[in-house]
Amino acid sequence: MSNQRQASSASQVPHLSPAELSYLYSSLSLPKTPIRPDGRSPTQFRPLTAETNILPGTNGSARIGFADGTQAIVGVKAEVEKTVLANETLARNDGGAGLDRGEQEGSAAVGGHGSWVQMSIEIPGFRDDDALPVFLSEMMRESLVGAVGTREASDMAGGLKERLVINKRWHWRLYIDVLLLSQPLAYPLPLLSLTTHLALLSTKLPKRKSQGEEDPFFDDDWAVAEYLYPRPSLSSGKTNSTGSSFVRPPVTLLVISVGENIIFDPNREEIAVADAVLAISITRDSEAGTLKLLSIRTVDPPSRLTQPGVPNSENVSMLGAVAPTEDVAVLNPATGEEEVPGVWRPRRGGVKRSVIAEMVKTALKKGGVGEEVLEGLEGVEVS
Amino acid sequence: MMADRRRINGPPGGTRPAVFASNLQSGTSATDRAQRQRQPSELRKIFLKTGLIPTASGSSYLEFEPSASLAAARANPKSLIPPSSALKLACTVHGPKPLPRSAAFSPNLVLTTHIKYAPFAARQRKGHIRDASERDLGVHLETALRGAIIAERWPKSGLDITITILEAEDDRWWGSAPDSHDASWGMMNVLAGCITAASAAIADAHIDCLDLVAGGVAALVSDDSASTSTVAPKLMLDTDPAEHRSILSACVVAYMPARDEITELWLKGDSSKASLEDGDDRTGHEALIDGAVDAARGAHAVLAEAVRESLLKTVGQA
Repeated sequence: MSNQRQASSASQVPHLSPAELSYLYSSLSLPKTPIRPDGRSPTQFRPLTAETNILPGTNGSARIGFADGTQAIVGVKAEVEKTVLANETLARNDGGAGLDRGEQEGSAAVGGHGSWVQMSIEIPGFRDDDALPVFLSEMMRESLVGAVGTREASDMAGGLKERLVINKRWHWRLYIDVLLLSQPLAYPLPLLSLTTHLALLSTKLPKRKSQGEEDPFFDDDWAVAEYLYPRPSLSSGKTNSTGSSFVRPPVTLLVISVGENIIFDPNREEIAVADAVLAISITRDSEAGTLKLLSIRTVDPPSRLTQPGVPNSENVSMLGAVAPTEDVAVLNPATGEEEVPGVWRPRRGGVKRSVIAEMVKTALKKGGVGEEVLEGLEGVEVS
Repeated sequence: MMADRRRINGPPGGTRPAVFASNLQSGTSATDRAQRQRQPSELRKIFLKTGLIPTASGSSYLEFEPSASLAAARANPKSLIPPSSALKLACTVHGPKPLPRSAAFSPNLVLTTHIKYAPFAARQRKGHIRDASERDLGVHLETALRGAIIAERWPKSGLDITITILEAEDDRWWGSAPDSHDASWGMMNVLAGCITAASAAIADAHIDCLDLVAGGVAALVSDDSASTSTVAPKLMLDTDPAEHRSILSACVVAYMPARDEITELWLKGDSSKASLEDGDDRTGHEALIDGAVDAARGAHAVLAEAVRESLLKTVGQA
């Protein structure tokens, strides 16, 4: 069984018959107007409920529940840790070749390190070293530490990594623990990503009392603690009402293509018939006010693992009942494969470059899905 | 925590040879830093050979050409530490073989991929148990190959692909401290090599595929040390991270030229500030993907030749 699970790594084998798959595929691939099983528009997300700061023992936490019953809780914990200089840097500074010592120390202190953010995902039914949790956590961590702010003046110019630096010798280590409470009905990426986003927004670090290179010492009044992702001051918040003036953590969207249609936030049935599945991480570009792409990863579409349907002309029990002309294979323009209409074939091959470009464009464009999601998340009151 | 308790492990950081001050008169100045000698669109040479492991149903061995600076350092050694490393890996394919009795029914070929760094592969020693990055690479490789293999021709069968990385690419030049642009860029080159090698090994095992799938890497790099913000980053193919000061974003694809399709895409970093030629209205990420596809086309030429060689060998034996 563990072998099986490893193989179906990123995705789960759907329990749908070839006839059901074919029905789903043909309704989702209707040109321009896909019909989704739950009646949403192609870019519409599932309704969700969200709350933040639910766990008193953490620095920040959030819970999101989708209407289909899947729920996730994220807790963020921060810990002060001594910065270990890289082996090479130490060796060189000890070695007395002091030519570039200043430069070395400077550069070691400026940037944080990606490994200071640690992420673990727990999904019921999966071991923590199974491929799916590992893949998901790497995907989310990569965009999180990769997001670099653009404005030099702000605190977050270097992104999250830089925010974790206390001084040259000390830094914060961030543990992000993601817990999926329900069975993973659909591919859980959008749920986990949105919950992590909210939890990070509500994360507070205690206010520092020490200065400069002193050993860190913090104010024990939790009321004056500072947000990990700093808020704009009240005066500037009024002038800039959209909230785009401060850096926010990235979100990862799940996008599928079916035929010529591009569909966001697929549920379990929709992802089972997808031609291609992409995970796209985006964030707000604080300078231009537009959206910025952080990472793209392909996800193995579960449709490759499905069972094929048998056309009547090849079915022995239907022998002679069908005229051979009745089901003729036609070329599916989206996949370039010969297919009998109404008979399911597992997907083969990859995705065209034009489709990828279109998917990214839909996610990033002004007034598109990405903005809608980020605006929705900004609407959640973070206490 | 998963600790390896069954073996007596060496120190995790490795040991370093004694370096005497007299050897250090030149220090580690900027001139020791590896420099890219190739054109932006010039790829490294690839050595690829199939059928080296007789017990496996298919196998291949892949090696990237060492960079010019490494060759120079070998000819005229100044330091004991090599300036850059070049990818070397071995891939074995076992199968198609029947699934174990306990496994559930599968109408398709069940693909399992294992990628493991040898403990000595990178500058930092890797443990014997696969860590998160190795598992992550395994998932990427699986996605890349599953799109190419025609899986419904082998119901109830399994295929195991095991890759051992003997020498990995560096994530950055060994002498530079981790900075804000640090990320595991070397992993992307490793993945591209794994895809190409695995594809050759699968062909060597005579497993039906839609096309030979090849891996390619492209990156946006800014090499000017003075200020990275003023100079727009340039697009380079097949980047060796040790040769560049900072890599802003990189992309690896698994590409099938016959169908012009991508089975695996992994892009990360900030690609919004790319400087392209005038009249080129592609966005940064599109240019990156196109660059990676061009690199994959180059690798595909080598791959096709290696597979042809392997076929001639089989025909000769028969």
